[in-house]
Amino acid sequence: MTVVKADGPVYLDALGPNGPYRTRVPSSVTDVSGTEVARLSLVPPVYVDRALAVLRKAEAVPTAGMDTLLEAAAEEFATGTIGGLGVREYEHLVSRTSGSPLTVVRTATRDTARFVSLARASADRGRPRGAARDSGDPALGSGHAVWARRGEVFAVNASGNHPGVHRLWLEALTLGYRVAVRPSRREPFTPHRLVGALHRAGVREDQLVLLPTDRQAAGALIRGADRAVVYGGDDLVARYAHDARVLPQGPGRTKILVTADTEWREYLDTIVDSVADEGGTACVNATAVLVEGDPAPLAEAVADRLSRLPGLPPQDTRAVLPVCPLDRARALDSYLQKVAAGTRAWLGGDGIVDDLGDGSAVLRPAVHQVDHAGAPQLRAELPFPCVWIAPWNRSDGIAPLRETLVLSFLSRDHALLDTLLAEPTIANVYAGDRPTHWMAPGVPHDSYLSDFLMRSKAVVGFE
Amino acid sequence: MTYESPAVLDAGPSDGVDPDEFVRAAMRWHFDPATGSRYWLDRAERLAFDPRRDVKGVADLSLLPDLTDELRHVPVADLIPRGYGSDARLINVFDSGGTTGAPKRVVQLDDWMRHSTEQVDRRLREHGLPLGAQWLTVAPTGPHLVGDVLQRAAASLGGPGLSIDMDPRWVKKLVAAGRSDEVESYTDHLVEQCRRILLTQEVGVLAATTPLLERFAREDDLLERINGSVRAILWGGTHMDPDTRHLLATEVFPDVPLIGMYGNTMMLTALLERPGLDASQPCIFDPVSPYVFLSVVDPATGERVEVGERGQVIVSHVSKSMLIPNNAERDTAVRVRPAGDHAGDAVADVAPVATVKGETVIEGVY
Repeated sequence: MTVVKADGPVYLDALGPNGPYRTRVPSSVTDVSGTEVARLSLVPPVYVDRALAVLRKAEAVPTAGMDTLLEAAAEEFATGTIGGLGVREYEHLVSRTSGSPLTVVRTATRDTARFVSLARASADRGRPRGAARDSGDPALGSGHAVWARRGEVFAVNASGNHPGVHRLWLEALTLGYRVAVRPSRREPFTPHRLVGALHRAGVREDQLVLLPTDRQAAGALIRGADRAVVYGGDDLVARYAHDARVLPQGPGRTKILVTADTEWREYLDTIVDSVADEGGTACVNATAVLVEGDPAPLAEAVADRLSRLPGLPPQDTRAVLPVCPLDRARALDSYLQKVAAGTRAWLGGDGIVDDLGDGSAVLRPAVHQVDHAGAPQLRAELPFPCVWIAPWNRSDGIAPLRETLVLSFLSRDHALLDTLLAEPTIANVYAGDRPTHWMAPGVPHDSYLSDFLMRSKAVVGFE
Repeated sequence: MTYESPAVLDAGPSDGVDPDEFVRAAMRWHFDPATGSRYWLDRAERLAFDPRRDVKGVADLSLLPDLTDELRHVPVADLIPRGYGSDARLINVFDSGGTTGAPKRVVQLDDWMRHSTEQVDRRLREHGLPLGAQWLTVAPTGPHLVGDVLQRAAASLGGPGLSIDMDPRWVKKLVAAGRSDEVESYTDHLVEQCRRILLTQEVGVLAATTPLLERFAREDDLLERINGSVRAILWGGTHMDPDTRHLLATEVFPDVPLIGMYGNTMMLTALLERPGLDASQPCIFDPVSPYVFLSVVDPATGERVEVGERGQVIVSHVSKSMLIPNNAERDTAVRVRPAGDHAGDAVADVAPVATVKGETVIEGVY
């Protein structure tokens, strides 16, 4: 399907507290081949400051009727024409700019709509048992707590690797925060559409804004908000590690552990899906598989499966692999070859670049076997299906499994499961036949967002 | 002893001298062994042409090389033309900000200071700045030119000048080190000092850098005070993008004219925004014949771009006291025809050269 807008370029305006705002010279949004597909208004810091001041003064979205509002927004997002774009045009643009396969984007549209409609209930799942929603709760009389916001304005410095990134901040809105979203410059379409859908459903423009900016103004956004979530690599996580107002979302380093009591062949589909579904670009895609015993047969089987995936332009409905500009693909390839030095390549050892001939390239999967569980390669997370397969022994302990967003646990060892659950640097543990990228409304992604946004405030004497 | 210089070389900005004639006289002065500076006379020996013979006017200034890098280490005494003899009245030595390494140094002699003050004064009067009003200037002083230009402008309009100093080099160091919280603290410190003045003194003219004006936008009490009593705001020292300029002019300071100033150390003065343009039109800076000539070139070829096209800004300063030809600025701008009878180009929408940082290609998933 080709989408050509007859009436000139697509403009993605900032969606400010006083309506859409178009800058004098909007910057270009290009697709994977380098062709301009839209123009994005990057607002200057002074605009950010003033927008945040308006948000701070605005009241929260009222709780009454919130679910109806969210359902309407979900419907708009999934089916409406927003900012001049129908859902098919929107999905095409996301696919062409992010390089994510179209089917991944389409699934994300439906899933995001579901997350939107359930955002209030989802956020409420994170409320501590001892905390009431508000002062009207009769339980308060006996001495109790109320769930209260830690601030008023929440900022999101989003990434563009997957449309699903934008499911998280909905919860902040339902908790009464006013929200400012800074879209990724690579894929600004999803937050633009979602903010537009919420506005149409009744969220006021002074309660939710979209503020595209350059990096410098992003600093103004994070500084000016009470709480902020930022996405990025290790350097970014380190930069904000000591700022209690900022929640960094860094690399996932998602892993799978297979112990000797489990026949991995029964779970091959789940393992392969964990590596490659969603185009392999998400933080919940598996980066490493650790196997108790000889890892070679598993590596060989995974490589065999992944080698069959077709290389197609992202907008092709049969596409499953990510696409990016050719020069970036080459840079990623040479980076991979450098990192992979000394490992046994089962797939991708002779390169991962599949040139599509239009300035873009498919990133083909890579499977490498390392010789011990402490190999540094296990930390190398790359934005395509790229997995490191390692041997694991009981003597290695759980050290190689630390710093993991999702750990899939293919084992019957309950004592080990308890140890992994107790490990603070493992965010989620999925036991059994469940791919690492599985998510559902109400299930935390990296703890409940409300742990960061809310606190329980003791309240007594309210009769 | 002092050498007689041709009368044209002593011309003030209102004297309407022919720029080409002025440039020829300047070449004779700076490259005559009796009158030129030690620096230029030494340097001239290595030029492949004779400036006194081959530079016939403004257009031929492009023959001279950009030697501003050498100003990082030339002894400042070597920059003073010998022709002034023992009468040379050195008022200031100014440093560039040092963004690209060690600062470059220039000298300001008494005669140039008068010419510069006069041209800035004229332009400010064209903008209708109030006479005798009190000024607050928040700008780099010390070795930096801009604070001095503003103080002299205030004085020439008969206004007492209150001032707050800022240290741009320290801020740049903090920014480079990623210490943004300290940048914030320093900016808060400047705002606090401004607040004391703005809330207790009657300020008629406010002169500040772009970041400071942006920062004021977050202070409701200062905005109320500035919009209530200030009659003109001068901005300069750094760039201001057209969107920020429009927002500041129409939403943050809707009741106060916002006037841009473009200058730097190598120019040895400041150019004022062309009067009569509103915030939705480009901000244009005209050159000042016969002293400051601008050209907008393609950085790859050095050829002048067409009118209306963007290119790199090249600045030449020509006066009796200094010759700083063909300084390639770290600015880009749109080439515009100059107003009146000024020679060379005018520039619009000045912006920093896009820094090509070797962006790390590998940023993980994101």
